Amino acid sequence: MNSMNKIIDYLKETYEIKSVKSPMDMQFHFETEKKLVHSILGDLKSKGFKQLSLITAVDWIEENEFQLTYILFNWDNGIHAILNTRLDRDNPKFTTILPIFPGAEYYERDVHEFFGIEFKGNEKSFKPLFLEMWDELPPLRKDFDPQAFSDKTFPKMEYTTQFLTDVGGVNNEGS
Amino acid sequence: MNLINFLQAIGIVLFAFIFQTSLTGINRKITARIQRRRGPVWYQQFLDIFKALTKTSITHGWIYDFGVIMALGGIAATLMMVPIAGFESFPGMDNIFIITYLLAVGMLGMAMSASGSGNPWAAIGVSRALTSMLAYDIPFMLVMIGLIFKFDTASLSNFAALQQTGSIVTWNIIKYPIGGFVALISLQGMLGKKPFDNFIAPAEIASGPMVEYGGKHLGMLFILHELSTFIEVGLIVNIFFGGGPTVIAFLVKYVIVYTLTNMVSQVLARFKVDQMVMFYYKVPLALAFIQGFIIVITNSGGVLWF
Amino acid sequence: MVLNDKDMRSAWEKVENYFQGSSIWMKWYCTGCGAIELPPTLTSRFDMERLGMGPMATPRQADILLITGYLSFKTLRRVIYSYEQMQEPKYIVAFGSCTVNGGIYYDSYSVMNRLDFYLPVDLYIAGCMPRPEAILNGFKELKSMIKAGKAEGYKKYKENYEWYRKNQIHSLKEVYVKDEFHE
Repeated sequence: MNSMNKIIDYLKETYEIKSVKSPMDMQFHFETEKKLVHSILGDLKSKGFKQLSLITAVDWIEENEFQLTYILFNWDNGIHAILNTRLDRDNPKFTTILPIFPGAEYYERDVHEFFGIEFKGNEKSFKPLFLEMWDELPPLRKDFDPQAFSDKTFPKMEYTTQFLTDVGGVNNEGS
Repeated sequence: MNLINFLQAIGIVLFAFIFQTSLTGINRKITARIQRRRGPVWYQQFLDIFKALTKTSITHGWIYDFGVIMALGGIAATLMMVPIAGFESFPGMDNIFIITYLLAVGMLGMAMSASGSGNPWAAIGVSRALTSMLAYDIPFMLVMIGLIFKFDTASLSNFAALQQTGSIVTWNIIKYPIGGFVALISLQGMLGKKPFDNFIAPAEIASGPMVEYGGKHLGMLFILHELSTFIEVGLIVNIFFGGGPTVIAFLVKYVIVYTLTNMVSQVLARFKVDQMVMFYYKVPLALAFIQGFIIVITNSGGVLWF
Repeated sequence: MVLNDKDMRSAWEKVENYFQGSSIWMKWYCTGCGAIELPPTLTSRFDMERLGMGPMATPRQADILLITGYLSFKTLRRVIYSYEQMQEPKYIVAFGSCTVNGGIYYDSYSVMNRLDFYLPVDLYIAGCMPRPEAILNGFKELKSMIKAGKAEGYKKYKENYEWYRKNQIHSLKEVYVKDEFHE
């Protein structure tokens, strides 16, 4: 707790971060602007947060924004640092963090394939990783309808038996 | 050498096939009981072989087909030379050297056809099989040379006859226990049982040389394995256990040796191929040298042990 | 009057079917989450070797391909390769409800819904996942089907190959495997 508070205070003084919260014991989340992400990540890495655990994205379709999330982990005191930024949904472009964390290459490929966010500077992120021969919308966006796609591409079985629906009493006895 | 000899030879091959296949099935049941479960029926190995022979099979060219036939023919020819308790199809031709030499035909035939299939797993499996052959043959041949020097004969039926003059203490396993121990360890390697079955290795190299075989080729390979087991265990029984004055005694000794080998193999793990070669060149080779040394010093008359 | 219920096999085929039904080698490769129920069926408690079945390492040596659970479209391309490499006679057993009608992944973008359109299935075993007792029951049923000469999935595949191929191309667009390792 002590070291976590120290890190949070340091970040609040040096950069402009908002909405810091700590929902679980050894984690803290905060949100920041797009242009500060690289410097904060580099700074945290030099303070001991050497492992990049995950890069993922959330689709806020009502606010018309994508949220990129970076999760870092410190092996010395076991603290997770979680960083969120917002991107514009109609033109999602960002710069890669490959120079800071070389392991981000596959995470950025993953996010590009499933959300459509482009990472400038990471040439390999445009190659498909999980999906083969996919030319529809990126699947994890909220305006992609998986049920319709599944019905169209993988046909289902037709049932010809009529099942009785008024025997058994679950829907009938209302009181 | 007339027709009777050939018919006797074919009879020996058929008898060996039926006996060994039933014994393999019974040993599968024994393995199952070791692992606290029921096993298959005792004739399951017959069903496996005949099922494999009724499937359609693919081919990769004539070397692929020819190698299997050459291996099977070579092993069947070797089997005709093994004496069973006085039954010899071709008298005078049951030399140890002939049998050990012809056993290599089986392995080489399989290597030839496996490399004809073009699969890289087969190439790895074949190189492992030939490397392990290099490992287990050397201590075995040293012990054999020592015994041939002592008894002044290399014929298997003479070996068997020389051990039947008397009670159990004339068996070579009692008189030369170190050599017998080395031969039994080599037998484990020759049969391809754990801990020395790295050339089959199903989960590691997708069963090695047998990776492209299916259908009739696989059935023939199973028959090959059964016949070569009979030759190798028969060799050890004749040289070390007295060979048996009657056929029943021979078969009883055979069953005991094979079952013990199988039970040992079910409780051990698998060695890697370099560990196997290093093992064979340390302890069994040293023991084989000690055995040879003992034979040479006691040759001039002294009796060290029995 | 059912005309095609008579046993039209020759004596040799009856003998062949007896041997093929008594010793079945399964391919040791299972696709979805149902593969977790196969090691208990194979080991000491629910012994599968009593039925004459055992695992073999490669598709060339195996008789039976088990589709255990869901089948994503990437795996389906590779399973079609494996199925066509197996040697006849060969059988497919489908485990679980995902192969019947999609199971709990009925609305997923990456999982196929009905296996019967792409590969011929001889026997379905219901459950999510079926327990080892159910699997043993299913295999006993498969053995009696093979011995009676009724497990003819591979013949159906050969005769209706265009229909199966059309369905495969419709869902997969291409059965040829293209990924990073094959470049």
